Amino acid sequence: MAGLAVLVFVVTICLLAPVYASHIAHVNPFTSNVQGTTTIHGKVVAVLQTNTLGIGVTPIGPTWDLSHYFLGADNQGRDVFARLLYGGRTSLLIGSLSALICVVVASLLGVIAGYFGGVVDWILSRIFDIVWAFPIYLLAISLSVVLLTSGLNLGPIHIGPGSMMLPILIIAMVFVPYVARPLRGIVLSLREREFIQAAIGSGASDARIILKEILPNVTPSIIVFFPLMVAFNMLTESALSFLSIGVQPPNASWGTIINDGLGLLYTRPWVAMAPGIMIVITAGSLNILGDGARDAFDPKAKLRGSI
Amino acid sequence: MKVLLATLTAAAGALVSATASVAANSSNTAFSYQKAHAGGTLKLLASTAGGTLDPQVNYTLQYWQLYQATYDGLVTFRKVSGAHSFDIVPDLATAMPKVSNGGKTYTFTLRKGIKFSNGAPVTVKDVQASMQRLFKVSNPNAGTWYNSIVGSAACLKTPATCTLSGGVVVNAATNTVTFNLVAPDPEFLDQLAVPFGAVLPANAPAKDAGTTPIPGTGAYAFSKYDPNRQLTMVRNKYFKVWSAAAQPQGYPNEIDMVFGSTVESEVTAVVNGQGDWVFDPLPSDRLSELSTKYASQLHVNPLTAVWYLPMNTNLAPFNNVLAREAVNYAIDKNAAVKLFGGTQLAQPVCTILPPGFPGHQNFCAFQKGTGSKYVGPDLAKAKALVAKSGTKGMAVGIVVTNDTVNMAVGQYVQSVLNSIGYKATLKPLSANIQFNYIQNTKNKVQISLTQWYQDYPAASDFLKVLLSCSGFHPGSDNSINIAGFCNKAIDAKMAQAEKLSITNPPAANVLWGQVDKQIMTTQAPWVPLFTPKQIDFISSRVGNYQFSRQFYMYVDQLWLK
Amino acid sequence: MFSFVVRRVISAVLVMFAISVLVFLIFFATPGVDPAARIAGRSATPQVLAQVKHEFGLDRPLPVRYALMMEHLFIKQDLTSYVNIGDPVVPQIMAAAPVTISLVLGASVIWLLVGVAGGVVAAANRGKFIDPLIMFLGIAAISVPAYWLGEVVNLITQSKLHSSVFSWVPQSGYVSPSVSIGQWALHLLFPWLTLAALYAGIYARVLRAELVNALNEDYVRTARAKGLSERRILLRHALRCSLISIVSLFGLDFGALIGGAALLTEVVFGLPGVGQLTYTSLQNLDLPVIMGCVMYGAFFVVLANMVVDILYGFLDPRVRLA
Repeated sequence: MAGLAVLVFVVTICLLAPVYASHIAHVNPFTSNVQGTTTIHGKVVAVLQTNTLGIGVTPIGPTWDLSHYFLGADNQGRDVFARLLYGGRTSLLIGSLSALICVVVASLLGVIAGYFGGVVDWILSRIFDIVWAFPIYLLAISLSVVLLTSGLNLGPIHIGPGSMMLPILIIAMVFVPYVARPLRGIVLSLREREFIQAAIGSGASDARIILKEILPNVTPSIIVFFPLMVAFNMLTESALSFLSIGVQPPNASWGTIINDGLGLLYTRPWVAMAPGIMIVITAGSLNILGDGARDAFDPKAKLRGSI
Repeated sequence: MKVLLATLTAAAGALVSATASVAANSSNTAFSYQKAHAGGTLKLLASTAGGTLDPQVNYTLQYWQLYQATYDGLVTFRKVSGAHSFDIVPDLATAMPKVSNGGKTYTFTLRKGIKFSNGAPVTVKDVQASMQRLFKVSNPNAGTWYNSIVGSAACLKTPATCTLSGGVVVNAATNTVTFNLVAPDPEFLDQLAVPFGAVLPANAPAKDAGTTPIPGTGAYAFSKYDPNRQLTMVRNKYFKVWSAAAQPQGYPNEIDMVFGSTVESEVTAVVNGQGDWVFDPLPSDRLSELSTKYASQLHVNPLTAVWYLPMNTNLAPFNNVLAREAVNYAIDKNAAVKLFGGTQLAQPVCTILPPGFPGHQNFCAFQKGTGSKYVGPDLAKAKALVAKSGTKGMAVGIVVTNDTVNMAVGQYVQSVLNSIGYKATLKPLSANIQFNYIQNTKNKVQISLTQWYQDYPAASDFLKVLLSCSGFHPGSDNSINIAGFCNKAIDAKMAQAEKLSITNPPAANVLWGQVDKQIMTTQAPWVPLFTPKQIDFISSRVGNYQFSRQFYMYVDQLWLK
Repeated sequence: MFSFVVRRVISAVLVMFAISVLVFLIFFATPGVDPAARIAGRSATPQVLAQVKHEFGLDRPLPVRYALMMEHLFIKQDLTSYVNIGDPVVPQIMAAAPVTISLVLGASVIWLLVGVAGGVVAAANRGKFIDPLIMFLGIAAISVPAYWLGEVVNLITQSKLHSSVFSWVPQSGYVSPSVSIGQWALHLLFPWLTLAALYAGIYARVLRAELVNALNEDYVRTARAKGLSERRILLRHALRCSLISIVSLFGLDFGALIGGAALLTEVVFGLPGVGQLTYTSLQNLDLPVIMGCVMYGAFFVVLANMVVDILYGFLDPRVRLA
């Protein structure tokens, strides 16, 4: 249950981001504050400090003071911790939603491909190959330019460049083969097992076999993949935001803060480390949660009684 | 002749006497070579290659910096450091040309005895072929610079059969090359002095040579080019100094430009002594470290360049002059300087022509208070202007390139535009797309962030190119007048200044200055931000850092011993 | 078996065709990427622009351009870059391939060893402290962005601790094994470790889960009842069936990486492999090189998946070849 507690804690503090920003830290994490100042130990200092020789500008580092600039400032003079909390909401949303879509679609397709075999498997496997070999960065660059101009119109739905659905869908689709192929492999093996053969022999319909026999045996694997996908998706989101799909400035996500932090790695490493740590904690707790859920679903594990 | 020379020297007008005298002061006329320091292999680091190696096609600072050591034109910019690096001196020509026919005919005499790096001698036929080749390879400025040569119109129409007959006349017996121009062009010598004017062998391929090096006459020659790994320059074994002012002897035996590392790795390599110089802009998070621990290896020099925000004068909201003025009032140029790296690396500007440039006038229109020096923004006035213009609440897209500094300045601009009443979004694009994207009116770009570096020191290179009707091509990817600014009256004044520069350059520069002031104060099509400085970080083992205002750091003058 | 291979080869061709068409369409559907303007230069007049367009065949209809490009790439093998004029694409990829193969082979050996060992140890000790510890380390490693990890490794080995602990680390770059095997390995050491770190965690995680699953199976209970040691059960019986997921993942990862998916790692460590070539060509929007790299990558993805499908048959004899 430690996993659940950590996850709940992370989600809560991220949801409370607006409260923190306006009442505790009194900052606006979305406006640039290049020429701003703040008070540290009674002294007024510039948030972006010019080196004494006039070459190089460094944002202030962590003050470890929750009332302002807890983790320091980024290169626009904004409060990193406040942005981290706001960013969490975006990242959690994108990461979990896309992981959910990915896993659901992949499970469906993987199971169908593995179970039916033949032409169905052939077509689906080729689709997996195409999606997996496809250069997602090219698509992202192209989309970013297309959306810049006009936005995408799919029938009644208008997608602008800042739309969250775009990175969610792209990331979800890109990783479908990654989940579907292992699941397909498991189903290929399962299909030949005696209990499945027995079910087929007894005249059960395909749908019934899939739902009652195959899926329950595949579910533990699916549950294991979900937190892994959340982690990957949060990272892919950072790559896509760099190419301007998804989270647009000045909005933040853990991925965009990492991108900002890469330019400050040699002077203010915390800007890049903090969001990375948040991703680790989130993925880690989801993982532990997943193990717990898997054990809850797997009747045989309960019988064995361990964990 | 002397008059023309004076046109082409830098701002401080009274340099006529200095350039005319071939005096003994070697630091103003040419480098003096010190043989003891010769030798070694110089390792330059660049994250990516600079494209084609063909000097008549390549338009990047990256390779122009190398061409000055490998190619020569009839004339060139004096190879010294300091203000005299803008002087034009004879190179493959024996002397400055004889100008006649009211400025429409230039006659050069070619030097004898100079050889290309493949051993072939340089003849007048090579000069003629090189000029024709400009059109055959579709040189970027074939239609804007070299269309002053008689016969160029036919060449632009059918480049493959370009002869420039009547325009470039050569006489092998007298070893002369005569140019006939359609009209007097005060910048003709500048246009021959840049690498586009390089004299190449007549048998150079009639298309972009790409990665195959073309033989040149310089102190060095390109021997190998793999755009994914390295570009190698070695000493030209047929080179003998004919004019140290035009093409001096170099120190390293070999100069390599190595590609493929990230900029951070490059900086670390130079710090560790594994490389000698970083071409790319230095990452901002290393600047403090470098300027404190490695200060002696860091060199800062002024550039004639400007970072600016062109606003589309033909599209809402910036087709309204009040809106443009509002943005000018709102942006804090000092903040932009800070985001670029600090006051030592950039200086805020309010004018189109950068400080120190011919024609530059000191004024600063849109700021807090009055005065010619920039003090700070006036947000209250900006907000009032936005309200008055009726454009408040409009959506504005800012198109920038997606590298760190441009993104940082872009985010700041977005924040400011939001604070004065617009709904601003930032639109980053890859550097390879952005520059052409913002030029094409079909993309409906409202405001963008871009830079302009001089080709040569002439006011028209900024004002005419960037803000006259002739630079505006709607619907084309090449419409360098990004603001879409087209004003007939001001165009007429520019034409007047151009005409005046043939007879009275100082007066012409004054006129250019007035054009600058008039454009900015009455129309404000841009927000000029700052003029950057060039930072060079070199390794501890190299010495003799020399900086030219035209060519930047002389790679061949660095010595390793 | 033979018909299987034939069918897979046809599949490979189809997949590559589909991808090439998609890449081509996306490229030219993007506004502002028209190479003519960039090739022509910054102040080119409309006339010059038109000339350049004609020279590069950019004024011809799309299907014709596609056919020409494929012809130059596969049949004549003289396709040249848009950005580095005259530089042929295929030799560039062939020169970059050994670098990527070196990187991926070394890293995959490390991550498989570490991942499988980690998964087995965690499953064998499930419920004890070491189990969640290994899992946490694994998750931490895969949650780290590749570029960031590489930059931090460089920061530590090349910059901050370079004069003391890591003075033996050479400058980033690639040395061919034909020049010096020792230098080749030394230059690749940290790239191997970095790339392996990013993948080992997944394999440990997935294997542990599959093993725990397998250990609950009937045949395992039978084996236990027969008196086989826990260790023997784990390693000889459970492991074999649990490897299906691992093999699937490995096929996907290895195939993608050989094809150039490790681009960020290659960029950070200055390795001139296919990944870096892909990255540079994407930045430059150099369609011929992008196409060449994508085709190369697609080929390996399809090949790897084919091998994996064959391996399924060995791992679980009940599986018919699909």
